[in-house]
Amino acid sequence: MADYLPHERKLTLKVVYYGPALSGKTTNLMQLHTLLRPQRKGELMVLETRDDRTLFFDVLPIGLRGEHGLDLRLKLYTVPGQVQHDSTRKAVLSRADGVIFVADSQPPQQDNNANAFDNLADNLQKLGMDIEQLPIVVQFNKRDVPGAVDEAELQRRWRQTPWAPLCMAAAINGEGVVESFRLLLKRLYPVLDREFHLAADEGISEDDFVRRLSALDADHA
Amino acid sequence: MRSFEDDPTLSELLPGDRQQQLLQLLQVLSGRPLVLSETPLTGAQAIEFNLETLGWLHCPEQPRVQQAAARLLEFVLFYVGKYRLAANLHHDSTEASFAELQRKHAALQESEARYKALAEQLQARVQEQVQVIEKTQQQLYETARLRAIGQLAAGVAHEINNPIGFIASNLRVAGDYLGELEQKLPADQGTAFLLEDFRALLSESASGTRRIETIVNDLKTFSNIDQADFVPCDLNGLLATTCHLLQTEGQALDIQLRPGTLPRLSGYPAKLSQAFYNVLDNSAKSLGEQGCILVSTRQLEDGTPEVVIEDNGCGISETDLPRVFDPFFTTRPVGSGTGLGLTVARDILIAHRGEVLLNSRQGVGTCVRLRFPRR
Ligand SMILES: Nc1nc2c(ncn2[C@@H]2O[C@H](COP(=O)(O)OP(=O)(O)O)[C@@H](O)[C@H]2O)c(=O)[nH]1
Ligand SMILES: [Mg+2]
Repeated sequence: MADYLPHERKLTLKVVYYGPALSGKTTNLMQLHTLLRPQRKGELMVLETRDDRTLFFDVLPIGLRGEHGLDLRLKLYTVPGQVQHDSTRKAVLSRADGVIFVADSQPPQQDNNANAFDNLADNLQKLGMDIEQLPIVVQFNKRDVPGAVDEAELQRRWRQTPWAPLCMAAAINGEGVVESFRLLLKRLYPVLDREFHLAADEGISEDDFVRRLSALDADHA
Repeated sequence: MRSFEDDPTLSELLPGDRQQQLLQLLQVLSGRPLVLSETPLTGAQAIEFNLETLGWLHCPEQPRVQQAAARLLEFVLFYVGKYRLAANLHHDSTEASFAELQRKHAALQESEARYKALAEQLQARVQEQVQVIEKTQQQLYETARLRAIGQLAAGVAHEINNPIGFIASNLRVAGDYLGELEQKLPADQGTAFLLEDFRALLSESASGTRRIETIVNDLKTFSNIDQADFVPCDLNGLLATTCHLLQTEGQALDIQLRPGTLPRLSGYPAKLSQAFYNVLDNSAKSLGEQGCILVSTRQLEDGTPEVVIEDNGCGISETDLPRVFDPFFTTRPVGSGTGLGLTVARDILIAHRGEVLLNSRQGVGTCVRLRFPRR
């Protein structure tokens, strides 16, 4: 959960990109690194990959300063998707404040999506986290691939879940990446505001929160 | 506990001596003095790692050198930090996996213990069932045997009763005729001698007939022809007939009967006779030369009726002692006994809510106490 150090006025949050192997989690993070102009942005740290696969995780720290001096930081992590890295996945997932689940839109990947989502639910339970309370955004990536599972069909399937509506993305082209991230920020804000009174005490409204953490090059122009 | 992702301090990423080495190299390269501090310095350049300011680098009056040196330091720290993050994560997840493994191990041990307990319970249940089956089998055997003996005894008694009746009465009539004949025959010595011999023959036959009648009576008691279920029993009477039966059965037996006063006891006479018979039969078979059996009855101080059957036979060895009540256990040669004797005796006593106590010493003798419930 969110880590607040009162004497430093520092609030550190954690968002995890979760999903099956090769669904585009790292690509999402790389695109955010390229596209976003948040108030503060650190280096994208891609932990050495072997055959293009994440071994540990990737992390991108971004942040903002509140009107009254709050040092708010958001660390964006990806997890390794391969089945055998479950303990690493669990360690990265622990204390997450939000999750973006990156699913693969290609029809043969649907079983992997389902298994990865079950694994997410499983690990959250093991970590003592409530999947119903956690802000989660489900993104179907690789919409650009011919034969991708029909969007209407996907939205219909997920309609009854707490995670509807879904985000559609083609991370490789930078499409839908920022939108997914913004949707998560919107779902995350009320949870944080309840605990840290961001609006009342720190002068950070939902709009400030989303805008300042996900500003684009274009927004500054 | 610090988690793998907690922001590190400068000295956590780069120990003091390494910092100095790096600083020295930068000084050689730039030809300028450099100061690195974890607390702010005026005019210094902040050194950042993942948005965190780790320290300040100062190169007086050389902003370009200060700037370049700071970026180079950050560049180095970035890769050190990357390694540190990966190593910490690896450490965290390995610890978590190990804890999980230990939990699983404990759970496994627990379930193993559960299965072991279950297996033991099952084993005990099987043993119990086997005992029930053995007991039932033995009761069946005993009932069948008793019924067979009863039927045989009843049949024999019935068949013998008639002929023995007319033999006895014929012998009496023959005696009378002999008296009449005596009157009519010449009174010489040869005739008198013949008649005397004749009379002796007749009386010997008559006493033989009486013995047969007693045996038939014993058989009747033993097989309980006339009685049904529990009735008031005279233990002394039953003992006497059983001893009698045993004595007429085979070799000459020295049995001393010392009956004490006993109340009448509610029981099943045929079965009680069977119990006495079995114990006595065992004693009889253990006897050697000069062997004798002492049968006594008494009431203990608390009123418990007791039958004591003692012998000075071969006794039972210590190793056999615990098994004498096991069904089919026998120390005698195969064919000479069913091995059920004492078991049946004990079960009969148990059916009468009594008990059998057995004391024995090899080469000295055996003492069996049959105790019945008080009234
Ligand atoms: N066609 C297509 N390929 C993608 C997209 N996003 C990622 N990829 C490719 O999928 C592969 C795995 O991506 P990566 O981000 O490493 O996946 P991760 O394992 O989830 O981190 C790479 O070859 C990417 O180029 C997308 O939107 N469309
Ligand atoms: Mg990856």
